[in-house]
Amino acid sequence: MSTEAAPAESAAESRGVSLEFGGRARLLAVLVPFWAWLVVRWAYDWVVVPGTNVSARESFFPSQQFLTAGEALRNAAAPAPLGGVLDWFAGGFDFLAFGVEALPQLAAGAWLTVVLTVVSILAGLVLAVPLSVARVYGNRATRWVSLSFTELIRGTPLLAQLFVLYFGLSLTQYVREIPGVGTGWIPGTAVWVAFIGFTINSAAYQSEYIRSALLSVDSGQLTAARSIGLSKLGGIRHVVLPQGLRFAIPGWSNELVYLIKYSSLASFITVGELFFYARDIGGDTYRYVEIYSAAALFYLAMVLSASLVMGVVEERTSIPGLGTGRAR
Amino acid sequence: MSGTDADLLRFEDVHQSYGDEKVLRGISFGMDRGDVEVVIGPSGSGKSTMLRCVNRLTEIDSGHIYIDGEDAAAMDENDLRRRVGMVFQDFNLFAHRTALGNVTLGLTEVRGMEKAAAREDAMGHLERVGLGDQAHSYPGELSGGQKQRVGIARALAMDPELMLFDEPTSALDPELIGEVLTVMRDLAADGMTMLCVTHEMGFAREVASTLSFLDEGKVVERGPPDQLFDAPEEARTAQFLERLTGLHDEDERSGGPRTSSDGHGESDGGEPSGTRRGERP
Repeated sequence: MSTEAAPAESAAESRGVSLEFGGRARLLAVLVPFWAWLVVRWAYDWVVVPGTNVSARESFFPSQQFLTAGEALRNAAAPAPLGGVLDWFAGGFDFLAFGVEALPQLAAGAWLTVVLTVVSILAGLVLAVPLSVARVYGNRATRWVSLSFTELIRGTPLLAQLFVLYFGLSLTQYVREIPGVGTGWIPGTAVWVAFIGFTINSAAYQSEYIRSALLSVDSGQLTAARSIGLSKLGGIRHVVLPQGLRFAIPGWSNELVYLIKYSSLASFITVGELFFYARDIGGDTYRYVEIYSAAALFYLAMVLSASLVMGVVEERTSIPGLGTGRAR
Repeated sequence: MSGTDADLLRFEDVHQSYGDEKVLRGISFGMDRGDVEVVIGPSGSGKSTMLRCVNRLTEIDSGHIYIDGEDAAAMDENDLRRRVGMVFQDFNLFAHRTALGNVTLGLTEVRGMEKAAAREDAMGHLERVGLGDQAHSYPGELSGGQKQRVGIARALAMDPELMLFDEPTSALDPELIGEVLTVMRDLAADGMTMLCVTHEMGFAREVASTLSFLDEGKVVERGPPDQLFDAPEEARTAQFLERLTGLHDEDERSGGPRTSSDGHGESDGGEPSGTRRGERP
C-alpha cells in the first residue's frame, strides 16, 4: 500500500467514479442542480411556508405537460409494432409526471437520509478510532473488548439492532426526556434511536477499515517516535493516526456509501427518511415501481456525490510518496 | 576508562534475551563524554540489541546500564530517550511530515516549545546536516542519504547527551554513504558522544576512539581501532576483520569516506557472508 509505485495507479482508482462518467465536470453538471434544488426545497418548506403537511406540498415544477404528452402518444393512431413503442414512451411521460409530483415528499425524506448518514458516520468515526487503536496497540483486555464489540455488531443484522434499540430497549422513553427533542430543528425520538443504532453499527465497520490501515503504517516510525521521547499514545496520535487515517480513506468512503443506503432501514422504526416516503407514496398510489425508481435515483445522486467529495478529500490530504493519494 | 563513575555511558554485566534466545551475555564497558565507540560484529551478535537497551526500546534481563551515573532502569523512559538520540538503519522518518516537520515534532511535543521557536530551532539542525534547502520536502521526495541526515537532525533536535547509530549507512546506495558519514564525522569533531554500530571501516579507523568486536552477545575484543585492525589479539577478531576488509583492503588504507564493505556484505543486514551462523545457540 505504501510502495513508491502505487500513487499513479491508485490516483486513477480514487477518481474511479468521475473517470467512468467522463470527468468530474459532467458529473457536477447533474449533481449541482440536484443539490441546489434540494436546498431551495428545504428552505422553502421550512422557512417560507413552514408547517405544511409533507403530503400536501406542491412541486416547483409542472407535471401537466408530461401527462398531456403521454396522453397524446397513447391516442396516436399507429400500426401495431410502432404503437407498442409509443405506449412505452407514454409510460415514460407518466413516470415523469408522477415523479415530479412526488419530488416534495422525496426531498423531505432526503433531508433525514442526509442527516442520519452524516451524523452517524462522523459519530461512528469518533468511536472507531479508539476501537481500532485499542485493537492494534492495546493490551489483551482492550483488544478483547474491541474485538468482541466489532464482531457482535458486524455479526448481527443492522435491522435487528435497530429493532432491539427501538422496540426491545424502548430507547425512545429515555430520549423523550431530553429537552428540545422533536421541536423545531431538533429531530424526533425515533431519529435519535436511529442515530444511536447507525453510529454503533458504523463504528464497528469503520474500526475494521481503520485497523487494517493502522497496520499498514510501518512500525519503525512508532519506534522512532518513542526514541525521541514521545509516549506510545503520543506516537500513535502524532505519527501513526495521521497516516493510518489517510490510508483508511478509500475503505471509509466505501462505508459512507453503504451507510447512505442502509439508512433506509430507519424507515422500519418510523423515521421519515427517503425510503419511508417512497413506501408511503407507493402505498397510497400502488405505483411502487415508479416511486422506488425515483427514490433510487435520489440514492444514486447522493452516492455519486459522496464518492466525488471523498475523492477530493483523498486528493487534498495526500502527501507525496505516502500511501494511496496522488502527489500534490 | 572502563567502569569509572565519570563515564557517560556504562554497561555492567548486561544480559538480555528474547524468550529462550540469549542475545547479550554479559556486556560490560564504559564510554567517556566525547568518545566515539564503534561496534562491529557478525549478524545476530547482539549489536542492535545492545543499542536498543541503552534507550530501553528493549529491556534488559539483568545487569545495569548507567547514563551519566544514573541507572537507566530507574529513569523515566521518555526522559531517558530525550537524552539519548537514536538513528536507525531504515531512517524511520515520519512519512506524513516534511523534513522540518520530522524535526519539530519532538521539539513541540516532547520539549514543549512553541511552534515558531521549534521551526527556527529545527531549521538550525537541518542546516547543520546540510539540508536547509530541503526543509519542506516530504521523506518520499528525499534520497536515502538525505533521509538519514533528516533522521540525524531529528535526533539532534532533542539535544541529546549521547547518540546511538544503528547501522546508519547499511540501507544506503554506495554513492550516498559519504554524505551521512561526513555529518557523523562533523558531529564527532564537535564532541558528541557516539555509540555506532557500523561496518564503515574507514570511519571506524579515522573517527572511533574505541572499537569493539561483538560476537555471540559478548565483547570479544575492545581497544583503539589501529590495534584491532593491525594487531588483533583474538583469532575471531582477526578472522572477522579479514572478511570485512579483505576485498577493500586497498581503499581501507587510504581512509576515505567510502572505504567500506558496503559493496558486498552490507546490503543484507551488515554481516560478512557465511559468518558463524551455524554456531548460534
